[in-house]
Amino acid sequence: MSVSPESFKKTSFISLARIGVIASHTFTQLVRMKVFYFLIAFVILLWGAKQVIFQNETGGDTSPEQELRLIKSTGFAAMNMFSMLLALSATALLIPKDIEDRTLYTILCKPVPRLDYLLGKLLGVLALIFVSLVAMDLVLCFFLDQKYSEIIDIQTLTYTRQGMPQDMIEAKLANINAHGVSINIHLASFAIFLKAIVIASIALLISTFSTSTLFTLILTLIIIVIGLIQSDAREYADTMAKFGVENQLSKISLMVAVFFPDLQFLSIEDGVIDGHAVPLSIMGRITILSLFYLAIYVILSWFTFRKKEF
Amino acid sequence: MNHSSNHALDAPFAIEIKDLVKTYRSSFKKETFKAVDKVSINIKAGEVYGLIGPNGSGKSTTMKALLGLISPTSGLCKVFGCDSTKVDARSEIGFLPENPYFYKHQTSSETLKFYGNLCGMRGKYLNNKVNELLELTSLTHARNRRLGGYSKGMLQRVGLAQALIQNPKLLILDEPTAGVDPIGSREIRDLIFRLKEEGVTIFLCSHLLEQVQEVCDRVGIIFEGQMVNEGTLDELTAIENQHEVILENADEGLLESISELVRQHSSSGAKIVSSQTPRSSLEKLFIDTANNRKNKKS
Ligand SMILES: Nc1ncnc2c1ncn2[C@@H]1O[C@H](COP(=O)(O)OP(=O)(O)O)[C@@H](O)[C@H]1O
Ligand SMILES: [Mg+2]
Repeated sequence: MSVSPESFKKTSFISLARIGVIASHTFTQLVRMKVFYFLIAFVILLWGAKQVIFQNETGGDTSPEQELRLIKSTGFAAMNMFSMLLALSATALLIPKDIEDRTLYTILCKPVPRLDYLLGKLLGVLALIFVSLVAMDLVLCFFLDQKYSEIIDIQTLTYTRQGMPQDMIEAKLANINAHGVSINIHLASFAIFLKAIVIASIALLISTFSTSTLFTLILTLIIIVIGLIQSDAREYADTMAKFGVENQLSKISLMVAVFFPDLQFLSIEDGVIDGHAVPLSIMGRITILSLFYLAIYVILSWFTFRKKEF
Repeated sequence: MNHSSNHALDAPFAIEIKDLVKTYRSSFKKETFKAVDKVSINIKAGEVYGLIGPNGSGKSTTMKALLGLISPTSGLCKVFGCDSTKVDARSEIGFLPENPYFYKHQTSSETLKFYGNLCGMRGKYLNNKVNELLELTSLTHARNRRLGGYSKGMLQRVGLAQALIQNPKLLILDEPTAGVDPIGSREIRDLIFRLKEEGVTIFLCSHLLEQVQEVCDRVGIIFEGQMVNEGTLDELTAIENQHEVILENADEGLLESISELVRQHSSSGAKIVSSQTPRSSLEKLFIDTANNRKNKKS
């Protein structure tokens, strides 16, 4: 058989199967790096938070909610920190490691388009974060629900002893109810995942042009910090404008928002800790915004990675 | 597949490198540096071609250009007529990089499956291929061990197996025997012979000359990025007017009469250049010892 160009199998530009292969490989790689061990730490942390009982000297009934809030805020803070750390380090480490170990040579020498490689790596990291967040969300809900039942039992007992009428007891308990397990907890967890998506895709972009892991880590961290404080800066500028102080800050911060994602905007867990329900419109908005950032960063990553030489 | 010679003639070249130039800019000075300088190589389908040259002469760079890992500064590279900057060109190439490292967390069978999957292979067909290749590279006994614990030679064999996973028509081997013990490098050599019989085109490079000698149909010598010599091994190395005779159990008398015979022909210019007891090469000694051990064991 003579070999002619026509005999080549056409390699499709994007193949979900191929991306899946790389993603599941990345997932396994991370799992075998024993990242799931932090779950133990998470369980211990929340168990500790659950043991805390606020002494209440006045006999007022604010403390039961405080105890529930503490569990939630501890849980969300840990989830935030863990998912950010993982999104940052896993993405920033994996590609430079592939280049250094030359494993990338062997992958790109198979008929694998470079975009597929990038998407596979990113999806692998995100899948791991997703699974961890689901696990943490369940752990959080478990401890929250336990604490909630305990509090309800104790409070009902106290109020009954105080001789409070039934309808008043119910009204008081409804207050606590808002701090119990609800769909809002899951929505807040999902918003944390959205933040991780944005951070991972920034780290992906930086690792495609950076030549060192440390540089990638530091630059991504700087962008995260900018992302976290820019809304405060904007608020400050608005306040100044109200006082008639002319400044460029608001314009600058708008420009900043185009290139650096506003991570504060993506955070909804504070409201959930306060016991508020999350409106679906906000969920929709932050989902679309995150996916928008994801798309931009992936396209930029592909742009720099497409012609990269090894 | 039919690799008969008349077909090979009308087939395009398996590898076509034309005036390849690759310059690197050194990061401190402004000056550029030519890692590969106007190299042209044509390799026919089914041929085994060896590129030899000292370290840093541009062998790996040439191969990377052929694989689309770097883009040529000028010139072009084609694989079976397909421009090597295109992804499609890679479907028929198996590549063994210099000092291959794979994912340490995977076992060798997982590694091969992973690369097979990347080539779009699935299921039973892939499983059979993986088993076959593990057998071929004598890694079956270690198939469920993680690569983190593999020796250099074993990794090299994983690299070879990985390169062969999708039955490529072209094999590109960067220093296939570097850092491998003599027995391992012999096995790799035998494997290359076998693949050659199956009609696979092989492009390999090495800085160790002896290893290339026996396997290559044609050899190119590259030096500081430039191709300085090219031809069949015979053309390049034969000393046409000499002949080597090695005798066994010859006594003094026989040797004396041979010298006498040569002296009688001295009018035609014949003479003995050297006469000595040949030494067993260290490599041969190594292999013999190992074989003796193995025979004793079994
Ligand atoms: N990415 C790079 N940047 C700068 N110089 C490089 C790069 N890659 C290779 N070189 C240089 O190109 C030359 C050829 O390298 P290489 O092809 O790896 O040689 P070898 O024949 O040993 O495989 C070397 O001098 C090397 O330093
Ligand atoms: Mg080299």
